[in-house]
Amino acid sequence: MILCRPRRSALGCGFAVALLLGRAQAAQGAPDLLDPATRAVETHLGNGLVVLTLEDHATPVVSFQMWVQVGSRDETRFTGLAHLFEHMMFKGSENVLPEEHARLIEALGGRVNAFTTRDFTVYHTDVSREGLPAVIGLEAERLAHLSITQSTLDSEREVVLEERRMRTDDQPEGRAFEALFAIAFVAHPYRWPVIGWRSDIAAATVEACREFFGHYYVPNNVVVAIAGDFDTAQALAAMRASFGPIPPAEEIPRNPTLEPEQRGERRADVEFDLRSPLLVAAWHAPASGHPDAEPLDVLSEILSDGRSSRLYRRLVWKEQTALAAEGAYWEMKDAGLFTAYASVRPGAKIERVEQSLFAEIDRMAREPVSAAELEKAKRQLEVGLVNGLATSHALAARIAYDVVTFGRIRPLEERLAAIRAVDAEAVRRVARSYLGPSQRSVVRVVPPAAGAKSK
Amino acid sequence: MSAARTPRPSRGLALLTLAAALACASPPPPVWKRPPPPVPDAPVVPEGALHRSELPNGVRVLVLEDHRLPRVSIGVTLRRGSASESLSEAGVALFMAELMEHGAGRRDALALANAVDQLGADLSVGSGWDSTTAGISGLSRDLDALLGILGDVVLRPRFERSEAKRVRDEALAGIEQSKDDPATLASWNAAAAIYPGHRYGLPREGTRASVARLDADAARKLHRRFFVPNDAILWASGDLDPAAFAARAQEIFGAWSAGPVAELGPPPPDPTPGERLIVVVDRPDLQQVRIILCHEGIARSNPQRVGASLMSDLLGGGGFSSRLMESLRAESGLTYSVGSGFSMRRWKGPFSVSTFTRVAEVRRVLDLALSVIERFRVEPPGEAELVPARTLAIGEFSLGLETSNAVTAGLVDLDVYGLPEDSLDTYRSRVRATTPAEMAELAQQLLHPERMAIVLVGPAEKLVPQLDGLGPVEVLKP
Repeated sequence: MILCRPRRSALGCGFAVALLLGRAQAAQGAPDLLDPATRAVETHLGNGLVVLTLEDHATPVVSFQMWVQVGSRDETRFTGLAHLFEHMMFKGSENVLPEEHARLIEALGGRVNAFTTRDFTVYHTDVSREGLPAVIGLEAERLAHLSITQSTLDSEREVVLEERRMRTDDQPEGRAFEALFAIAFVAHPYRWPVIGWRSDIAAATVEACREFFGHYYVPNNVVVAIAGDFDTAQALAAMRASFGPIPPAEEIPRNPTLEPEQRGERRADVEFDLRSPLLVAAWHAPASGHPDAEPLDVLSEILSDGRSSRLYRRLVWKEQTALAAEGAYWEMKDAGLFTAYASVRPGAKIERVEQSLFAEIDRMAREPVSAAELEKAKRQLEVGLVNGLATSHALAARIAYDVVTFGRIRPLEERLAAIRAVDAEAVRRVARSYLGPSQRSVVRVVPPAAGAKSK
Repeated sequence: MSAARTPRPSRGLALLTLAAALACASPPPPVWKRPPPPVPDAPVVPEGALHRSELPNGVRVLVLEDHRLPRVSIGVTLRRGSASESLSEAGVALFMAELMEHGAGRRDALALANAVDQLGADLSVGSGWDSTTAGISGLSRDLDALLGILGDVVLRPRFERSEAKRVRDEALAGIEQSKDDPATLASWNAAAAIYPGHRYGLPREGTRASVARLDADAARKLHRRFFVPNDAILWASGDLDPAAFAARAQEIFGAWSAGPVAELGPPPPDPTPGERLIVVVDRPDLQQVRIILCHEGIARSNPQRVGASLMSDLLGGGGFSSRLMESLRAESGLTYSVGSGFSMRRWKGPFSVSTFTRVAEVRRVLDLALSVIERFRVEPPGEAELVPARTLAIGEFSLGLETSNAVTAGLVDLDVYGLPEDSLDTYRSRVRATTPAEMAELAQQLLHPERMAIVLVGPAEKLVPQLDGLGPVEVLKP
């Protein structure tokens, strides 16, 4: 389960192989890549389900991913329902016993898992080509005939409560980001954690799960991506036969709430028994698909990527007050955040870390970045794109993400061109527009004594 | 290959089968209930892609050509790591490795960082228990610059005093920070419980006391001991020309002069622990208890390693299909995750079962876990349980080798442990050859629930009362 999607890993979610490289041209300038995703075929079934296929026989793996366009932002009564429901998808259907889905995939030598974000729920399976027909059959079976019973719900909610304790309750970082989203958003559903509040997980009902299934687990709310070693015609025939008969929904309900403008800094302390306090901050930034995404990406590279980055050099290397310090742009469907993170060295003053962190961010708005830093950041982003092209899994994730986010597969060239077009003025402009103190939310995770002192 | 083993039905038989199917007129079974089709073994390394050679000074060179993406990864691996440290200098290998990234050749720390970042490259020096690796990756057109940086870092690290102090202070802070993480606390204390007095019993990062003693001289001395060409593997994978690479490698690493190979550390006590012991690391604030059950496992060179791994997969694996997962998660909702595994090293690293649960259920989880392990010895898996486990192990293996970087890492690892070069190629047939009898024998040999160390991280006040009758309990501060 992930919280939302940092841009860098969105880039890093590259694709499989069979990438054609213009080797003569590669000697100069940026890498000349033919984006394999441009070969992807988009097929619409009669019930609205979108299938993306990208065949590539240079890899021994096929990745099958079902992206359901529902996340915690769609929850109404019980927070955490989207994620709890993700777990219920493994608890049996008309022709498959509880837990049998995963066991059958593993018996094919496949790897299966799922995750939920604020915007999506993703079920992914990587397997050899021989296993694909069974994967398609099993995936359609649970979309068409899921069983939700009181007893499976009761045992699975305990599993999810353990997951919550592991990721959030007993983890300083989990605590920090849960509190950060809760103050950065006051109205939009992004304010609650994907895993949900404990009391809601404990109270969620079978009826609520069934209603959720009926509303969102419908073919016209699903994008399937298949990438790697498989036969497109056979896969599409299997998809039509198994997913084709599932009826679509007429309407898919969405929460209408938009986040109002933030006027003034917000702060919160979380007390936790820890040696290395944490400081996290968030500024409102554009939702996915905005042209300011690339300047924000470049800005976060300059702040955070590598030992020569500004935050590492100042907080970790020079002042030695932090063990890690970074900033990142996170895009989501309805809104974005620019977040900053620093883990404070035991014994160092968190106030000093905060001062330096925000000074570096303010400096982005004041002074233009140097030409050398700009070039370095662009190069780092470009190499990240190339590195993200290595596996079928990453390829399937990227084309599915593009389609559910932008409504189309964005060619790599388009992304590279947007990165190359960023200049120092654009970086300064986005810093000024988005990263002001009055747009900021700040959370500190500190030991109880320090928390008491600062009150 | 598998198809050759499948008997081909005669036409007459096929017609009969068809007639029988029509007569019954029952719907065909769903596709997932049909027997899984055989998966042919794709070669681990494509024909002609792997090139091995040796420089005159003994550096073994391994190049895996893969032109699918315009990128390269290159590195130097030595066959000594943290296990070769003395107890009083625990942590020095990681300290040296980190310091190697803080300046080399003509470049000081900042200049080196700039040189790496300007290429969009990734430089990383690190140590495991049994090896130390300096590696760098980036675009293939920057290969020459990447090799130049790698040569500097491996052969000419600066080990400046000011940087050494920085790295030492950061390492000390890192050790303290790690204690905030319940999982790290559990694994450090599990190692301490079963390897007292041995290097395996301390974290690879070292301790406050051992790291506080480290300085630039200690790093320089270790570098001299570890980095000798006659113990080095120079590896490269990606979009490069093997002949040109070998020539350039000779220019950069050819003058590196040979020396004695650093000694291995001594083997740990075996078996260990001799009897059941329980350690509670007191974290009163935690809602969930981290649990590790462990004792000695097997060495990486053990000829039964493939069978032993499969046995562990069946017991606790990492997937959804193991006996422990079934018992602790699927049937009872007591945890989100449970795993088991051997940490195979030069000597016998730990075998451990790890999980976590809410504070009130610790005893139930311990009783269940111990009884599942005991039952595994009494009722070892039969062929029906083994069939899907074999397929999963083979499938995981193939999925894990999708990239040439992963294949190269696997080949270097074989070299580090002196295992046969064809071990990756023969892996799948060795998995297929495992038998229920072998599982039964390995379970008797390698699982000893009665003398496992049990390590719990959580609120001692609520945990200790749950542990009656399980064994002697020691409560520690983090």
